[in-house]
Amino acid sequence: MAVDLAGSAERLRFEPLMPSEMSGGRPQFRKVQVPSHRFAPLKRCWMEIYTPVYEHMKVDIRMNLKARRVELKTRQDTPDVSNLQKCADFVHAFMLGFDIADAVALLRLDDLYVDSFEIKDVKTLRGEHLSRAIGRLSGKGGKTKYAIENSTRTRIVIADTKIHILGSFVNIKVARDSLCSLILGSPAGKVYSKLRAVSARLAERY
Amino acid sequence: MMAAADKGEAAMAQLRNADPALFLSPSADLAAAAREASQHIYSSLVTFSPAQPPPLPSLLAGPAFDAEQIWSQIELLARPLLPHLRRQLRRLEQQPPSQPQAAPRVESPAGAEEEQSEEDEEDSELEELKEEEEELEDSDDEDEMAEDDEEDEEELEDKGGNGVEDKFLKTKHLEEFLEQAEEEEYGGGAKRGEKKAKKNWMEEDSDDDDEGMEDDEDDEEDEDELDLEDFEDDEEEDEGKTGGDIMYKDFFEKESKQVKSRDSSMKKVQSRLKDMKMILMAVKMMMMMVMMMMMMMSEQDEQGLSTYEKERLKKRAEIEQMEKAVLEPSTWTMQGEVTASRRPKNSALEVDLDFEHNVRPAPIITEEVTASLEEMIKKRIAEGHYDDVEKPALLPTKAPKERKEMDESKSKKGLAELYEEDYAQKTGLAPAPLSISDELKKEANALFKRICLKLDALSHFHFAPKPVIEDMSIQANVPALAMEEIAPVAVSDAAMLAPEEIFDGKGDIKEDAELTQAERKRRRANKKRKYAESHKERPTKLQKDA
Repeated sequence: MAVDLAGSAERLRFEPLMPSEMSGGRPQFRKVQVPSHRFAPLKRCWMEIYTPVYEHMKVDIRMNLKARRVELKTRQDTPDVSNLQKCADFVHAFMLGFDIADAVALLRLDDLYVDSFEIKDVKTLRGEHLSRAIGRLSGKGGKTKYAIENSTRTRIVIADTKIHILGSFVNIKVARDSLCSLILGSPAGKVYSKLRAVSARLAERY
Repeated sequence: MMAAADKGEAAMAQLRNADPALFLSPSADLAAAAREASQHIYSSLVTFSPAQPPPLPSLLAGPAFDAEQIWSQIELLARPLLPHLRRQLRRLEQQPPSQPQAAPRVESPAGAEEEQSEEDEEDSELEELKEEEEELEDSDDEDEMAEDDEEDEEELEDKGGNGVEDKFLKTKHLEEFLEQAEEEEYGGGAKRGEKKAKKNWMEEDSDDDDEGMEDDEDDEEDEDELDLEDFEDDEEEDEGKTGGDIMYKDFFEKESKQVKSRDSSMKKVQSRLKDMKMILMAVKMMMMMVMMMMMMMSEQDEQGLSTYEKERLKKRAEIEQMEKAVLEPSTWTMQGEVTASRRPKNSALEVDLDFEHNVRPAPIITEEVTASLEEMIKKRIAEGHYDDVEKPALLPTKAPKERKEMDESKSKKGLAELYEEDYAQKTGLAPAPLSISDELKKEANALFKRICLKLDALSHFHFAPKPVIEDMSIQANVPALAMEEIAPVAVSDAAMLAPEEIFDGKGDIKEDAELTQAERKRRRANKKRKYAESHKERPTKLQKDA
């Protein structure tokens, strides 16, 4: 705290707190539960998760095997408070099913989010209809899903009846709209045409 | 002149004195007398004609002249004269003279008239007429003239035709005859009064006279002189028609009686007017008589209708029929717009309807038509002249947008890399990636270069070597012969790749079989050392708890 003596009025200047100083000098923790189906992929990609978190974000990370969770903790030299949260989000995204390459974008960019919803939120489907809807969503060999991903610059994870979308707010919206229209029953071609129009507009904006 | 006048007078006197019965049969004396008389009258009236000098100074009424001819001559005089006199009359009516003048002068001729009235009334009247005319022209002694006229009229009226009657002319006869004739003609009793007297006269005379021109002429004269009053009335009835406007119905139709009340106040003027009218009527009657004469001269039955009458009746009947037909409601075809309810059922089928066809009739296809069409088609194809609608070439308003094709495969780059590239481009650290158009341009450029090369080789005589296109391709380690020649002429064991390219190593290379034990050991120790170095960083495997 430095007192600025320049000028008639004294103005106190406060520098931002280090996360270690926050909450009384104690470190902050985040815990991310690991679902059973992501256990093996976590083991495989552990170093890819560990390196950016520990090296670049300067956040401590460890795997609690007994509790089956990943724990994150701030260090002394963690530069920003948000780093911890970003790392937590990054790990959480991995747990949802996203690739490391895609989830790392969360660490890099501020304005990326993960949006999740269920098929039953859009339309109540049962049995075969549900299966068909899921099939419609992904398309043959996943091409519909990839088409949406490529045109809207998002990443989509379809986990049975749950759908997760990773991307910027606007792109999430577009992807969600196209997915919802697919769930509601419109054919892929229609969705494509809409996508084309929207993505062209989005691309023009930037 | 005087001799002629005397002659005329004498002739008139002769006619007057002749027995009416004589007129029934043709008589040369009477005919001659009639001619003379008409000539005399004509000459007396000629001076008053408006066209001076008159076209025909004297009436040519020799024995060779036909009734028709004489009548036309009279007409020649009368036609301009009558309107002239009428005009005078009207002028007088509009500007009635207010001063009675020269009373004594007129009185003497009036007195003279009275004296002569019973005998030579015609002459006196004639003279009176002349005098009257003169006086009218002077427009001075109208009142006195009126008085005189009155006296004359009164005389005429009092005598009730007696004064008018003469030795050969009996009013009673005339009346009876006229009544008869009228009944025959019109089939009805027409009431006659004073006014009809003239007609009766006329017809009676004409009937009596048969086909005698001289008789007609006599009638003319008589009526000229005797029946002025009646003429006047008739003229008034006719409403002032001139000689040329006299129609058939004026003579032969039943006329409505117009009772004229003569105001005492207007008597003078009226009598004056009457003088004028008397003159007019004199002329008119001449013409009327000629017409009568002509009628009488044509072959007719005394009983029954004249041919003209018959024709007229026929025409009348036809007209009535036509009128009746027109008044009736016409057939539906003539009624203009007719709805189906207004015409009988299926009637439109029977009628040959004619309406405008707005459609061109379909062309009849004949061999010539087809031949001509085919010729035209061939010609057009040969020329290449088609009627196809050509789309206008759209000018691009702006550059075509580069469209990214929808990629349906999993993207090779991760999301982070995408954003990374985006950021790099924005900041300018990395060059912009080749867009699709750039790739297309590249491809196009390469193709064009190839074509140019070939064309140049064709067109130039000097040799230009093929340009080297840096292209990465994998070289397979296959004998060179296989690449260059398809048919192996001679087997060559030259390989494509050089030994350095096959094997990359240095030193004295020994196979495993050649190695000594010490060398083997050395190799193994080196290997272990390398392995230990590379695997040093890996954490040791966790020992499972026993």
